[in-house]
Amino acid sequence: MTTAETASAPPEAARFVGQSVRRVEDKRLVTGHGRYVDDVVLPGMFHVAFARSDFARARIVALDTTAAAALPGVHAVFTASELNHHVDSLRSSMVTAEQAIVPAHVLADGDVRFVGDPIALVVADNRYLAEDAIDLLDVEYEALLPVVDFEQAASDQNLVHPELGTNVAGVEHSTNAGVAPALANAAVVVTETFRQHRQRNMPMETRGLVVDWQPYAERVDIWASTQSPHELTLTAARVLNLGEHQVRVHMGDVGGAFGQKVFLGRDEIAVLLAARAVGRPLKWIEDRRENLIAANSARVDRTTVTMGLDDDARIVAAEIDQLNDSGAYPLGGVPANSNNLVSMFPGPYAIPLMSWSAGSVFTNTSGRGAYRGPWQMETVARELMIDTLARRIGMDPLELRRHNVIRQEDLPYTTATGNVYERISPAETLEQAVAMLDYDAFRVGQTEARLDGRYLGVGLSLFIEPTSKGAGALGNEGAVVRVELDGSVSVYMGTGSHGQGLETTIAQVVADELGIDMAVVAFHQGHGSPYGFGTGGSRSAVIAGGAARAAASGVRQQILHLAAHVLEAGPEDLRIELGVVSVAGTPTRSVSVAELARTAYTQPEALPPDTAPGLEHSARYQAPPVTFSNAAHVCTCEVDVNTGIVTLLRYLVSEDCGVMVNPMIVQGQIAGGVAQGIGGALFEHSPYDTDGNPLAATMLDYLIPTSAEIPIIEIGHIVTPSDSPGGHKGVGEGGAIGSPPCVVNAVNDALSPFGVAFTKQPITPNAVLRALDEVRTESAT
Amino acid sequence: MLAAHGDEAKLLAGGQSLVPLLALRLARCEHLIDINGVDALKTITRANGSLRIGAMVRQATIEADLTLLEAAPLLTLATPHIGHFQIRNRGTIGGSVAHADPAAEYPAVAVALDAEIEIASATSRRAVAATDFFDGAFSTALEDDELLVAIILPVWSGQSGFAIREVARRHGDFALAGAAVGIQVDQQANIDRAAVVLFGVGNQPQRATAAEAALLGMPLEKLNTAELGRLATTDLLVIDDGHASASYRRRVGAHLAGNAIASAVRHICEEEEKEV
Amino acid sequence: MTEPIPVTTTVNGVPHNAAVEARKTLADYLREDCLVTGVHLGCEQGACGACTVLLDGIAVRACLLFAVQVDGSTVTTAEGLMDPDGTLSTVQEAFRNCHGLQCGFCTPGFVISATAFLENHPHPTLDDIRTGLSGNLCRCTGYQGIVAAVQQAASKLSTRSGSEDKQ
Repeated sequence: MTTAETASAPPEAARFVGQSVRRVEDKRLVTGHGRYVDDVVLPGMFHVAFARSDFARARIVALDTTAAAALPGVHAVFTASELNHHVDSLRSSMVTAEQAIVPAHVLADGDVRFVGDPIALVVADNRYLAEDAIDLLDVEYEALLPVVDFEQAASDQNLVHPELGTNVAGVEHSTNAGVAPALANAAVVVTETFRQHRQRNMPMETRGLVVDWQPYAERVDIWASTQSPHELTLTAARVLNLGEHQVRVHMGDVGGAFGQKVFLGRDEIAVLLAARAVGRPLKWIEDRRENLIAANSARVDRTTVTMGLDDDARIVAAEIDQLNDSGAYPLGGVPANSNNLVSMFPGPYAIPLMSWSAGSVFTNTSGRGAYRGPWQMETVARELMIDTLARRIGMDPLELRRHNVIRQEDLPYTTATGNVYERISPAETLEQAVAMLDYDAFRVGQTEARLDGRYLGVGLSLFIEPTSKGAGALGNEGAVVRVELDGSVSVYMGTGSHGQGLETTIAQVVADELGIDMAVVAFHQGHGSPYGFGTGGSRSAVIAGGAARAAASGVRQQILHLAAHVLEAGPEDLRIELGVVSVAGTPTRSVSVAELARTAYTQPEALPPDTAPGLEHSARYQAPPVTFSNAAHVCTCEVDVNTGIVTLLRYLVSEDCGVMVNPMIVQGQIAGGVAQGIGGALFEHSPYDTDGNPLAATMLDYLIPTSAEIPIIEIGHIVTPSDSPGGHKGVGEGGAIGSPPCVVNAVNDALSPFGVAFTKQPITPNAVLRALDEVRTESAT
Repeated sequence: MLAAHGDEAKLLAGGQSLVPLLALRLARCEHLIDINGVDALKTITRANGSLRIGAMVRQATIEADLTLLEAAPLLTLATPHIGHFQIRNRGTIGGSVAHADPAAEYPAVAVALDAEIEIASATSRRAVAATDFFDGAFSTALEDDELLVAIILPVWSGQSGFAIREVARRHGDFALAGAAVGIQVDQQANIDRAAVVLFGVGNQPQRATAAEAALLGMPLEKLNTAELGRLATTDLLVIDDGHASASYRRRVGAHLAGNAIASAVRHICEEEEKEV
Repeated sequence: MTEPIPVTTTVNGVPHNAAVEARKTLADYLREDCLVTGVHLGCEQGACGACTVLLDGIAVRACLLFAVQVDGSTVTTAEGLMDPDGTLSTVQEAFRNCHGLQCGFCTPGFVISATAFLENHPHPTLDDIRTGLSGNLCRCTGYQGIVAAVQQAASKLSTRSGSEDKQ
């Protein structure tokens, strides 16, 4: 299988890319025939349940598993002493051991460090029995004072990880000497502290895996709810002391993830080890309580921002001080870092100077993991600060943004943090969004409503999204495109589609590149696919699409080379349409891709000279370091000042993700992200009390929005192509980045007559009335 | 069976409140007694100016029953607030009243309408006034060996109007605060019966006796509903928890009570207009 | 330990006989004993709606019922909404047309709930749909495609019933 060197005609106009093609996945999913990990049943399979700590920080004085192990139907009970010694690092496979500083306790070993910390793993005939056995475990704890408040953790004498000698996970800073004088000379300087609260990814399908250890076959088969089959392969090989060639990860349907299922949790590692010890297939399906208290959580951030404006309302400098909570066991063994947050803080505005400091601490809470746009606190803090400044100087927040937004004539623009923007359109999206709303008409209506005692508000949020990052282990994807003997096409990629519709979008890309019908393209992930990061980080269109295009392009060359020989024409004169290659202008001179495939594989004597048999190509695509996309969000709300209820009226997004592969899917990604941001701004909260108990352990306490709380989301598009093949950009995380500050700004705008301005979320009805009370009390004194 | 097993047994009605607790292993029992097959508990009869609703009548049945809407509008008005339709398809009135969630609607309606709760054990029957039936969060006058058999609702005669108002975090969630109101007027359009019950604000439904007293004898057009709402939250026992503070509940309870009273009054006026 | 209790049901038109523990939920029975895995467990609390099925035609949470309670009953899941020849139901087709799903985990419950909802509300307004379906949670779609799908299905079903075809 060599790539033909001859020049050839470029692909015909796209038939599938750019169309809202109905998804290949849907027929099985709407009929309940998806295959998720809990649908995998193997002969002789046993079930796993975890016993978990009820204390945030405690010594395990005694742990007696005798009664549990003796329960009929229970086959094994594992604790730290049986499992932990197999693993020397909890690191993900994308990072080095040195970066993963979290102590490598697979199961809690002698002490527990957060409520939900797994202390024992029970293997039984079914989950009901396994939980019965957990009831029989005899555990005695000596409770210790936990570290819960992340803002106090650095100075707390109690240590989350005594091995580390400190609760500080990392501290970095960078001072630009120009910032201080710029602020000193500014016309107005505002400092404000913004906070974001703990949220949970809460995919509808919890985590889970089935592990089939086959010692005589010298391999392990794993089915998992995962975003990254290769991360799972690599980490499983490492902890099981196997070669990667001995690990087969099977990728089925995955019920959402939003970042929670890239790296293995300690519980998943424990299941791998237990499967090897037990020698029977093991299934662990996390239940919702575990998912809400023990799986990784996100977004505990505090950002103090100082920003100054000159007399023309231009931002002169900014300073941020950022603190992250990493919890006890951040996912992948690596504490949260602020690189992206710091880097993206300037956002879409011309901020010439910036200083920053950023730190992360450990606490006795669930560990921090990635959640859709993990760095998005930069947009929350910045966009809330813009509105704060606008209120201070008495300027409409839209005008202040217009004064500072980066415009086409400013490009290429290098930010104060070293990002170079070239193909972005923040000003255009801002104008499109406010035009879609008719912002001016809203302001008129808002004034009228206030006379009636009704408080409406409008909020804006503008941001740049760093997508498809091409660094290190994440930077490339591979694809194998193979034409089968009947002319159908199989595509293998190391991605981990979990709702993004890659079976459809990759088929669109490959079908267009090859000139065939996407109905004969099948997409495969998992075992047998080339190494790739998986799916996340808004990378699918650029990186996965890029790899698919590159591999398909190679096959296209082979097809045309062979067809040119068969049709006795130059390859540059050939067209491929819906699987038939013909000579341009002479449609009767044609040969089908199927016939060519049969020839390529079974009639070597009919091949052109120096042509290897077969029609298959493998290629990798290395992404550029980053591809920036951007969007503007605007929403309107009404705040009922008698009940504190916030009702969203309209929500609009103007987005630029370059050329869209499938507009329907792009809109779905944005809408899903927006709903999560609305959830965080108004409903979702996973708090801990002062004893370190998680207070939102069910879906009646952790409140994600229902259809009744999410308005129609109107989406407008601007298209600024990237310079990657196809002109695509990433978009998957953007909805969740821009939405929280958009909603908060709208509420603050509604309540501006009262002087209420929230700097944190969620804005609950209780919080609204309390804020109104506080300003009333302040103004009375 | 209940008598035999004592507190090792629980009754299974709709299961919408009990089974989640069992799944979380927060509630445990050796025996579950499924009463879904007891047809005698599923009847609705009307006699002597009262509605007798069997404990196992489903919330969805109540929601759709037009004769109930006419005889006990407050019950029908309250029903769509209960969770979601899939929950109401299984949930029962008896289960809801026996579960006594402080934020639930049916206990408040029972108190507002001066209902009687009919209770049976293996050996005896008794009836308890709704106002005496609830004695704290998730706590009632039911003994371990007793079964709630029926709710008996007096049908309000004459001109009456009803309303229920509540605030919840999301559609279908438990009420942070709620008010259930019934107002009846005599031939002179003066109020001769008033029920104002706050729920979700304390450990059980509470009658706003001061507001009810103030309403009695008042002509409809003289009502200051905002003031009455405030009056409704005097002497109120209000709880503070993770979802809302005590002051939130008091304030919003007053607002909702005022709104509900205004709505009940409109209900009466609309009925009058229909008859004209 | 209790003795397994025999349960006989008809699920999606197929008769099933099994003996189950008294405490086994209907959801687990459907998934494990009837091999109907389209019933998904999102919370096992009745809060998320992913396990919604039709029990004798009525939409209920399968995770809040015990298998032994449905002896002699009929259960319909998303698998059972199709025509025998595999044609998707109007609701299923609408979900597909309107991008009413992404990961698909909540989808079987939504499709069942939407089907039941439309039987009782054949001409819903947008707000009727948004509140009527609030008992099913979705984390992926932001509900946009779902609401659009139910609107499309309502429109098609009412046209069809207007011309007196079967639904």
